[in-house]
Amino acid sequence: MTNPGVLLIYGLLIVLGTAALSRGHGSFQQGLIRGAEQLIKLLPRMLCALVAAGFLAMLVPTEVVSNFLGAEAGFMAIVIGTLAGMIIPAGPAISFSIAAVLANEGASVPALVAFTTSWGVFALHRVIIFEIPLLGISFTRLRMLSVLILPLLAGSLTLAAMSTLSKW
Amino acid sequence: MSRPDLTSSSNPSHVRPGSRDWWAGLLREGFGLSFWLFGAFAIGMGLASYVVLGPQTFDTAVSGSLELVGNTLPRVAAAQFVAGFVWAMLPHDRISQLAGARHGLRGLVIATAAGIITPGGPTSAYSLLAIAAGAGADRGILITYITSWALLAVQRIIVWDLPFMGAEFSAVRFLVCLPLPILAGMIARRLPLSLVLLKTAPQPGAGK
Repeated sequence: MTNPGVLLIYGLLIVLGTAALSRGHGSFQQGLIRGAEQLIKLLPRMLCALVAAGFLAMLVPTEVVSNFLGAEAGFMAIVIGTLAGMIIPAGPAISFSIAAVLANEGASVPALVAFTTSWGVFALHRVIIFEIPLLGISFTRLRMLSVLILPLLAGSLTLAAMSTLSKW
Repeated sequence: MSRPDLTSSSNPSHVRPGSRDWWAGLLREGFGLSFWLFGAFAIGMGLASYVVLGPQTFDTAVSGSLELVGNTLPRVAAAQFVAGFVWAMLPHDRISQLAGARHGLRGLVIATAAGIITPGGPTSAYSLLAIAAGAGADRGILITYITSWALLAVQRIIVWDLPFMGAEFSAVRFLVCLPLPILAGMIARRLPLSLVLLKTAPQPGAGK
């Protein structure tokens, strides 16, 4: 409970809930309904992904995760994180559940940054559902090539920043 | 998934909340393809764990998963309501003007800022992108905007990064990724690729 991220979320919930309530126009009810809708939609997927990733983490020895995605793996972990993020054709409920399990299993912060960044820019389901129908395949091609190096860069920057800070 | 619509942002608001249609729509989306794929995967992995590692390790895995769910779920739920309140209070029409066409580095900075503050999921972001493309925004702006939304959108960070990965990780990832959409836009402007945009946006005159 003392985790600052958790405090921030509950703090925001209270602040925004109060703001919506005092604003009127049904903002509070609309916000509650919207939140409930999104939560109901993501719950089944999140539960499945967390349980599946939990079993997978048990089956795959912890050493494998730490060898390939751990701090000792260095840049290799960033490359593997990037590749893993590219091939997950599912929304945030699933990809972040996987990231949370990987973090539990000892994946390094640079590898996880590369993983979430890679999923963020490549997310195949989004390309298929939104990008190609709305903007066309030539836009997708241009975008994919433009963002190709971003996950590796994000992971490497994180690695560099962490090793600089640890020297202090 | 239904046709992208900027104003409703995939919200089935025309259906009365709590009604049978409302539940049916939500459950249809909740128990969509990825649920069944991951559900099957979870069952397969569960069986494999039971056979390979034995019932004791299986129990440990189940209780470990449930503990992770128990830790994550309240935060994820709270984050969804935070997003709901933001969604209810934000002026959706005003944000669409931010992705307007501007050239140079300044345009890329504005596109990054627009991506950061765009609320909602891919429905709203891609609708805005299509509108900006239809209005003739250059390719750098378009790539920077959608990359910024994908990596830096504050609402997405609050809803996903924060509850699942914690504050420290979220802050590190945000800072590290901050310059990247601009870089992507600059790369896009230099890539010798032809760009033929679909004419789905309401405005006439497709982009380059």
